[in-house]
This record gives sequence, structure tokens and C-alpha cells, in this order.
Amino acid sequence: MSKEKKLKKPKIKQGRLEAREARVGYLFVLPWIIGVLAFLIYPLGQSFYYMWYNIRITPLQTKFIWVGTGNFTQIWLENPEFPKQLVTYIWQTIVEVPVIVVFALIIAMMLNGKIKCKAFFRLIFFLPVIIVSGPVMNMLVSEGASSIPAMNTQAVVNAMDSFLPYSVATSIGELFSNMIMILWYSGVQILIFLSALQKVDPSLYEAAKMDGGSGWECFWKITLPTIKNFILLNAVYTVIFLSGNEQNELINMIESAMFSGTKEKGYGYASAMAWMYAVIVTLIVLLFFLLLGSKKDVYDRMVIKRRRALKKEERLVKRIERRGERNVRKLERARKSHKYKTYDGNGDY
Amino acid sequence: MKKKQIVAAILAAVMTLSLTACGGSKTAKSGSDNSGAAGADGTTTDEITLTYWHYEDETTIGLLAEAFMKKYPNITVECKQISDMSTDLSAAAAAGTFPDVFSGTDSDTALANEYWADITEYVEKDPDMGKMMPTIKEYGIGKFDTDRWWGLPTWYQPSAVFIDRNVIEKLNLEMPRTDWTWDEMIQLIKDATVDDRTGMKYYGLGYYNRLDSLYGIAACSTAERAIKGEFGFDGNDFDLSYWAIGEQQFSDLKLAGYVAPQQNTQAMEDWSGDWGTWFGATGHVAVFSEGFWSYQNLWATEGYQDTYGLDIVPYVTPNVVDEKEHNVIANMYIGGVSSSCEHPYEAYLLLKFMGIGTDGWNARMDIYEDNSITNASGVALQHSNMPVPMTLDEGVWARYKALFPSDEDHKKYWDDYFSSITRPVPYGWYSIAGYWNFCDQYFNKIGIHDLVDNGTAKSADYAEEATEQANYYHAEAMLSYFGPTGYDVLSDEEIARYEAVTSSFGQ
Repeated sequence: MSKEKKLKKPKIKQGRLEAREARVGYLFVLPWIIGVLAFLIYPLGQSFYYMWYNIRITPLQTKFIWVGTGNFTQIWLENPEFPKQLVTYIWQTIVEVPVIVVFALIIAMMLNGKIKCKAFFRLIFFLPVIIVSGPVMNMLVSEGASSIPAMNTQAVVNAMDSFLPYSVATSIGELFSNMIMILWYSGVQILIFLSALQKVDPSLYEAAKMDGGSGWECFWKITLPTIKNFILLNAVYTVIFLSGNEQNELINMIESAMFSGTKEKGYGYASAMAWMYAVIVTLIVLLFFLLLGSKKDVYDRMVIKRRRALKKEERLVKRIERRGERNVRKLERARKSHKYKTYDGNGDY
Repeated sequence: MKKKQIVAAILAAVMTLSLTACGGSKTAKSGSDNSGAAGADGTTTDEITLTYWHYEDETTIGLLAEAFMKKYPNITVECKQISDMSTDLSAAAAAGTFPDVFSGTDSDTALANEYWADITEYVEKDPDMGKMMPTIKEYGIGKFDTDRWWGLPTWYQPSAVFIDRNVIEKLNLEMPRTDWTWDEMIQLIKDATVDDRTGMKYYGLGYYNRLDSLYGIAACSTAERAIKGEFGFDGNDFDLSYWAIGEQQFSDLKLAGYVAPQQNTQAMEDWSGDWGTWFGATGHVAVFSEGFWSYQNLWATEGYQDTYGLDIVPYVTPNVVDEKEHNVIANMYIGGVSSSCEHPYEAYLLLKFMGIGTDGWNARMDIYEDNSITNASGVALQHSNMPVPMTLDEGVWARYKALFPSDEDHKKYWDDYFSSITRPVPYGWYSIAGYWNFCDQYFNKIGIHDLVDNGTAKSADYAEEATEQANYYHAEAMLSYFGPTGYDVLSDEEIARYEAVTSSFGQ
């Protein structure tokens, strides 16, 4: 049997039941595939194409005028508001994401505890996700419902301004002035953390308690390492949410540029803005991934090390075996050509 | 398994259907083909539908559309109120549902995207055009400094200066002559500012329109410079030195305490005791630089003036030079026939009927005279941003004037006012190509008004640079809109002239 044949897996014919299952599976994911192709991949490609053009949509035709990087230079040189908002957005996101995630975790842990009317409180915290969106959110924010009137945010900004750059100080000030909004933005994250907390094996806590572990120690040694992946998930979700909601100035700016009738703006200009923004959002997601990305714990690392050692040992054994076989063949050849004689016990070497 | 299959099939079907629905949003254009038969007056005899998008009161336009359909029974008119011109029209253009006729407030948007068709043929043959206010043809309002007509004014309200006679009487001042000059107005503002510390201060001026907006038109005699637009625009280029004088004069008045505080400010609360008070309802302001609508929508409503102890009369925006007949700055929406319209002549008739036409104005008068007709808010239509006729037809004007106070005390003010507003000049964003870009990308961005109002800068320091910028934006817009990449109607000389401006800019 040749070597190739040895490697080839035996072909097993798919049964009718299995084929039907596969078809149903594809049918189930079909809406998603169509959705992604039509509403993600296609618009993404389209906007990538648009950003190199000045696009004028007249009632009779759509005119594409090649401007190359003209849209980008126009944005950076003629629209000082965009870079300014971009910097504000970066700082705001970096400041707000940890606050939202930590707040969501605290609330989730409280809701996971033994409290009365647990379901009611869960509903209360999730309610803003359903109610406070779109125009309702805009209305509430314009009415000042997102801030705590008693909180003097200007004092916070003034205090920060003395030792932090202005854009950072205002971002922190914004955070304080929109404290209520942080609560509204935490609904989904609380749910994710709740489901994660409920998956933690209670026996771990029991064992820790028996060994004299305090609640504080249990949180740091058991809860946090177990839900670590969910922290990243929530951080990424929050970045995406903050980057795309209707309160985001950059989104409004892109939207208004898209529908602007002035000769410089329009779809091409807005696409260039959107792509620059998308790159920044990706970089922020990457930053959180680097900070919170799953690092293997000590036990996982030991298992991996042991596996590697075993593999190394196997390789060494195989190498020794191969060397032995080689030597045997060599001796055999020497013996056959009478260059070498094995000792036959007659005392004559 | 069967259940799963059914659910999956339904999901896939719903998704496919929704996609098909999205793709099918490009509907056919309204109206029938233009190759149909034509009647004696040149209009089609086919059953057609025209769409009209506008900024006016929905009830008024709905009733006007009915009157138009009565006149042309084979034409159906569908109207829609525009909420945001750029957004609504660009979305309609992208979706293939562009209106046949629309009236807008920002001409740059319409020109940059070639929304308007060339209607020169219809305008120049139209005998009705001879009856219009002279500046429309003289300055080519709707021609945008080309030799073609792209639009026509559809809605007109002049700026106005109002005087509260009660305040003048209380302060023992003389009412000025109705054909006053700019300096007389400034003097009255100063004289009528009285703070005797015993009660609420009297202010000389309350403003909606900054005085510099008015001054740009009133700055000089026509012999000195034939100004036909804001910022000293004479059809070729700008001269913001005129604007700078008005800007500085207005800011000086503000800084010296002659100007009443604005609504929703701390200064207003300190003065009137209420943050939300409007200065026009205090009875302590003598002169108002207001929109015409403030009279019709507020002061003219029943009991308003009695409640606040006011006696408001209109004055024409004065000129620096004592000229009897002079231009007046105005809000003038410009409407046009869309470049995709399949029935341009019928669309032109609709545009004219809704805007400047005498027939349309007679239909409007029927609506405005009947106070029982109200809009969705329950307001009689003459109190809902009623425009001023642009036709000089005497019949229309007689009916229009009858809507205003006709008692002996007030009539002469209104008669003088109406006879002085026959030379409207629209604000820049209606009639000057590139004006919007200039304001958006330069003028508003550097915040000249605030700097001068705060006393931290002098307007004259900006005049030269702002003039250069304004000329650049205008030239660039003219090339872009009407040059080879746009409508392509500029002559080689014109292109060379505008290119000279753009290439010399910043050197």
C-alpha cells in the first residue's frame, strides 16, 4: 500500500437522513447569509467604492466623479469638526466602556444574589433597552433626563482640566453629566453577565468556602476568571453600541453628510468619513481585545507544556528507533560484502 | 424535523420577500408619457399626475392644488411638505421618486445636483411675467447669473421694521416719516432706549433679523453700486465692506445697551422677570427688526396687541440714501420644475400657480379671506405664514390689503409699507450660487458675529478676507453648477472669468 493511500480517509457515503439534516441546516442559516451578503458585504463594498468618488445623484442619473483621496483631504482640511469629534469619541469610548461594563457586572451580581422580586428587578434594568431607543432616547436626552441635575459636572471638568488634556477632561465630564445614560446602556450587558454568573459551578464556591475563602476572594479567584471571556464580549458589545447609536455625534455627522446636497458632500464624502470611523472603531475593539483577551491560566499552561514534552519524547523515541534501524541495515550491508564479520566465538577477532 | 423545515422555509421566504420589496422601491415616474395630445392652450389632454413638494402650510397648498385641478381637470396634483430639503430630495432622487415641481429654501442643493430643469422657454414666452415685481426679471431671480431660467420665486415675505406706537407715545417721541432713512432709524433706536431706574427699561431695538442683514441691501445708492444680493453682491462679485459697516453698527448698538435681550436668556429674565418672554410681547421695545410673519402670525391675531398693550405698525427697511424707491431684503423660496419631469410645461404652470401667478394668487385670496378655514393646528390660514403677492395685479393687491388694518390711524402705514416692498431682493441662500457653502465653510465657522458682538474684533478687519472668500466660493460654485461638469451653459469667457477668480484665490 502506497503512502498516499495510507493517508486518505475512507470515504463514507452520506445517509439520506444526514443529507436532509444538512439541507435544513443550510436553510436555517440562509436568511443570515442573505442578510450578511445584502446588508453587510454588499454595502461595505459599495461604500468602499464610493469613497473615491464625488457622487451627485441628480433626478436623471447618478454622476460619479473620480476624486481619489480628495474626499479624505476635504474632510481633514475643510471639516475641522470631524477630527475634533473623532478625538472626543475615542476618549469617551475608552472612558465609558469600562464604566458601563463594571456597572453591568455589579448589577448582574446583585441580581444574581438571593433577593426578593428578582425577576422584577431584572425587568427594570432591561426595560431601557426596549423603551429608550431611537426618537424616545433623543427626546429624553434633549429634556435633560440623562443627567443628574444636582451633579456639578463643570466642577469635575475644571478639576480634571488642571492636570489632564482638555479633550480627556471633557470626556470624563461628559461621563458624569450623562450618568443616567450609562445605566440605560447597561441592559444587555447585565443579561450577558447574569447568564455567565449562573454558569459558574456552585461547587467551586462551596469548596472555597470550606477552605476559608471570603466572598472577596471568591470573586477574584473564581467568579472573575470564570466570566473573563464574557467581560471581553461585553466590552466589544459596548464599543459597538456606543459607536453606532443615535446619540453618537459622528454617526449624525456621517448621516447628514450623506444627505447633504452641497457639491463636496454626498455619498462619497460620507463613505470616506464612515471608513475612517470604522478603522478607528476596529482599533478600539482591538485595544480592548489586547487588554481583556483570553490569556490561558496556569493549569492550561501546564497541560500544554506537558503535551509538548510528551510530543518531544515521542519524537526522540522515533528518532532513536530510526537510527537503530539504519545501523542494522548498515551492518547487514557490511556483513554481506564481507567487510565486516561478526564475532563467531572462536577467539579470533 | 418537519417543524424545523417549515420554520426555516418561512424565514428564508420572509427574507427573500423583504429583499425583493427593497429592490422594488424604484417606482415608475408619475404622469403619463409626454407624447400625448395637447389642448388649445398647449397643455396635455392626457390624464397626468404631478407631484409638488413645498415648505408652506399643508392646508393652504392642499386647497391651492384643488383649485389648480379644478382649472386643469385632467391633471392630478399630489403635494408633500418638505421637512428637510437636502435629506428629502436626495433620498427621492436616489429612490427614483423625485417630485415634478418643488419649492426650496437652499438653491445650492438644487443646483449642485441638477434638480432643476431649464424653464427659459416657458418663462420668456409667459405674458404673466410682465406683471411681476420688477426685480424678479431685472435681477433674474431664479437665473443665478446665467442667461437661463432655472427657477422662479414661489413664496415671498419682505423683511420689515415694525414700530410700537404706544412706546413712542409713552416716551414722548415723534413717529418718524414712513420713507425714513437708515440714520433716522438708528437715531430712533437710541432715543427710544430709556432706563430711568424706576421700572422696566425701554429698549430701542428688538431683533430677529440682525441689522447687518438689512444693511447689505440698503448700504448705498444704486449709482454707487448696483447691489442685487446680500454682502454687497452685484451679480459679479461681493463687497463685504458694506456688510462690515452694518455689522459694526449693530454690534455697537448691542454693546451700548440699545438692543433688547433675546428670549430664553438670563438677560431676558433679569429684564422681564421671565426667561421665556419674547421682547415683542413686553410693550417696552420701540423698533423691531422682524420677519413679516411676526405680524401675521402673532401681532395680528385676535386680542394679542390689546393683551400686551402694543400698537404695531410696519415701516419699510430704510436705505442709507434718501431714495424713494429702493430694494428690500426678502425671504423668497425658489421653486423649479425637476429635470426628470415628463410634463415640464404642465409642471411650469403648476409652479407658477403655486407661486407668482395671478390666477394662483386669486385662489390664495379666496383661501385667506375665509377665516373659517383653518389648518391642522386650528389657525386661520392668513395667520399661518401667509406670503406677500409677487404679482402687481391690482385686483389681487386690493384683496390682499383688505386683510390688514384699514382704520384711518393705521391704513397709511400699511399703504406706504406695501408700496415700498415691490423691489424684493432675496437673501443669498435663495439666489446666489455658492452662498451656502461660503457661509457653511467660512463665514459661520469663524464666528464673526460673536467676535464683533463681544467687542473682541472689528468687522472691518474681516471685510477684505471675507470678500475674497465669498468671491472664491461663488466662482467655484458657478463653475461646478453651470460649467462642463454641471448644466454646461457657461460661455468660454464666463468660464475663464470664474477660473481666474478660483486660481487667484489664496495667492
